[in-house]
Amino acid sequence: MFRFILHRLGMAVPTLLLISVMVFALIRFIPGDPALLMLGDMADAQSLAQMRSSLGLDHSVVTQYLIWIKSVLSGDLGVSISTRQAVLPLLFERFSVSATIVLVAVALATLIAVPVGLFAAWKQDSAMDLGLVAGATLLLSIPSFWLGLLLLYAFGIKLGWLPVVGYVTFADDPLKAITYLVLPIVTLTLVEFGAIARMARASTIEVLRLDYIAHARAKGLSEGAVLWRHALRNAFAPTWTLVGLILGNLLGGIAVLETVFTLPGVGRLMVDSIFARDYPVLQGCLLLITCIYVFVNLCVDLLYPLFDPRVKL
Amino acid sequence: MHHYVKKTLYVGVPTLSLCFAALTLQAGEPSLIKVGFNGDIRSTEPGVNRDENSDAFIMHIVEGLVAYREDASVGPMLAKDVAISDDGLTYTFTLREGVKFQNGKSLTAEDVKWTWQRYLDPKTQWRCLPEFDGRGVSKILDISVPEPLKVVFRIDQPNGVLLATMSRPDCGGSGIVHPDSVAADGTWIAPIGTGPFTLGQWKQGQYVELNRFKDYTPRAEAKPDGFTGNKQAFVDRVRFVVIPDAASAKAALLSGGVDVLPDVTAMDEAELKNVAGMQVRISPVMTLGGLLFQTRDPLLGDVRIRRAVALSLDYSQMVATLSNGLSAVNNSIIPTTSAYYDATAQKGYPHDLEEARRLLKEAGYHGQPIKLIVNKRYPQMFDMGVLSQAMLQSVGVNIVLETMEWGAQLERYQSGNFQMMAFSYSPRFDAALSYESVTGNKDKEPRKVWDNPKALVLLREAQSESVAQKRQALFDQLHTLMLADVPMVMIYNGTSIGVVKDGIEGYRSWPISKPRLWGVSLAATSK
Repeated sequence: MFRFILHRLGMAVPTLLLISVMVFALIRFIPGDPALLMLGDMADAQSLAQMRSSLGLDHSVVTQYLIWIKSVLSGDLGVSISTRQAVLPLLFERFSVSATIVLVAVALATLIAVPVGLFAAWKQDSAMDLGLVAGATLLLSIPSFWLGLLLLYAFGIKLGWLPVVGYVTFADDPLKAITYLVLPIVTLTLVEFGAIARMARASTIEVLRLDYIAHARAKGLSEGAVLWRHALRNAFAPTWTLVGLILGNLLGGIAVLETVFTLPGVGRLMVDSIFARDYPVLQGCLLLITCIYVFVNLCVDLLYPLFDPRVKL
Repeated sequence: MHHYVKKTLYVGVPTLSLCFAALTLQAGEPSLIKVGFNGDIRSTEPGVNRDENSDAFIMHIVEGLVAYREDASVGPMLAKDVAISDDGLTYTFTLREGVKFQNGKSLTAEDVKWTWQRYLDPKTQWRCLPEFDGRGVSKILDISVPEPLKVVFRIDQPNGVLLATMSRPDCGGSGIVHPDSVAADGTWIAPIGTGPFTLGQWKQGQYVELNRFKDYTPRAEAKPDGFTGNKQAFVDRVRFVVIPDAASAKAALLSGGVDVLPDVTAMDEAELKNVAGMQVRISPVMTLGGLLFQTRDPLLGDVRIRRAVALSLDYSQMVATLSNGLSAVNNSIIPTTSAYYDATAQKGYPHDLEEARRLLKEAGYHGQPIKLIVNKRYPQMFDMGVLSQAMLQSVGVNIVLETMEWGAQLERYQSGNFQMMAFSYSPRFDAALSYESVTGNKDKEPRKVWDNPKALVLLREAQSESVAQKRQALFDQLHTLMLADVPMVMIYNGTSIGVVKDGIEGYRSWPISKPRLWGVSLAATSK
């Protein structure tokens, strides 16, 4: 297993390097000039040139890349063009917000959706199954921002139970922090529930048709034992892959939800940096997302043998 | 009787205790107003690394020698009076006595000189440096301090917009700061100004706070007047909460998450004005919304086609739609709230489809596509483009909308690489500044839409002139010339719509649009 991890990490190095080049080049192909965005519609040519020079944008793209990659390798992701903050601590600060929401929401969604999917598969084609599938499809189809706004309206405005905007860190006030996180976590849980439940149901249906399940039943095992002990373990493997993909995707930023709930997460940071053409922050965000994908996929692969005995690392 | 006494004691004592506790708590709690901001501030340095929100925020902390009044004219702020020499080359500012910085030190003319020297140092990267280093109308040659409360600016050319430029919020109001705002190596630490609020906590991406400056020295006027007048603060703290999403901002207002939304859309205004407990504050602002033409384009280089476009638009209908009936049509680059918006400026383009068709035919236009750039960051620009496209179809002008991200559009604007563009200029608070934003030599400044030597001469005269009547005559000539040249079609000035919750007293929208929290009180704390 140690060799597998080393091999995967070794493969990640050229991937990251390639992506760093692509990210750097692509960002600079986007029309729009950070200096111009800072100076606005009153910018004259000399002011623009001065601003570009002060931001280091007057060098060639290759030189800019070499300067940046040298800094990255020494653990420095640069300084934000917009706010002049160091990018690395900014990313960590913002990532912790997104990660809290995503990890809790995906864990909750998985804990609820897998048994629901299992149950729906067991009761395949029954009214209960149809109801659960319809519910899951509905949740899957609702855009997250709309669901978020609905919940915000219901629990924030109409009932007044939860705060509508803002964010408090756990370090500042743990109880208050929870009240600010409830709505985004519930929204994300509901949205992801649909996809996971449908996958859990589909893979369970497939497994329940296999011979070894019939064999287990023929042995006289209870339905509960058949489902939980024999079906779930095999059926969970594809679901686990999906959970990994969802995690990787969401940890890269839940910009829409962060915007609706005004959370200072990494997704909003990335959107803001795109609008401001804040190259160092955007490069940092994209590099972080790539690292997250690599890490999450590695974790999923490492945990895969737990659910699928046929897989050996 | 005994029963009633016991009952009264059981119920009354705890109730009274609770009331007393609540009152004690209320009396001890600092008053706080929460204001929604659509984005975080960029820095706390006046006029450096700034945007609209940064400007609005910093204007609570720092004050300049002069500032804009409620009607967008310029009045003294830290200066008691301003004397301009007969040749227009020397400005003498006499400072008010007893003004204190937020670190307790007294304001002196040396502080003014120090701040201005810092602004004029290119290393500071002050946004407004080009206006004072000779690239604009005039150059500041020298700043001297003949007396402890007197500072003299000497310039090389008469400049009718010097004070107006000094007052611009995007220049940080040329706010005077104490030298302790800057570290020994010249790096910015935090603003120590003379304004009614001091810098509070800044949680980046979440909120930024102001604390009331208890030793603030207000001007003698009875009330606030724009960015000047009596700017006494009545609340202990102001928190600008960052809420980028408009729907979330509205939800925050309705749920009590914020008390003030300084800038809502006309659509939201229509909804919120009917909500109990909300009050709407509306004011016309000085943004300049219209359609820009590239006069060097092979097609649009023909003034007849540009004029045909101008005559084809139904301005009343368009402005009513764009502003939900809150703004008026204005074909002049001088905003309706300007003192220079006179009868001549009110003259615009008639809605004359017959004449438009005749001009197009005469110019040999036969439906060639014309690309009109719009963006969705600013919905009013997008809507302006869509409405123009529909209206121009009626005379056979084939407009193709090209939707861009704002940063990309701004780059095209800067390079002059467009045929037509729906655009909104940020507010210019002097008519000469409005004309200056569009007039110039395209070879040197491709972003300028109006390249007419005669207009440039008139503009230079207006920029140097400081007598209002003479300036008015020049602006009238410029407007008439612009209507004939049609380098752009001005359509309307925007509207600032603020919504405040009941209990917030003294908050007003105004032509300069920026929120002002001095002079504002919570109903319970105002007395």
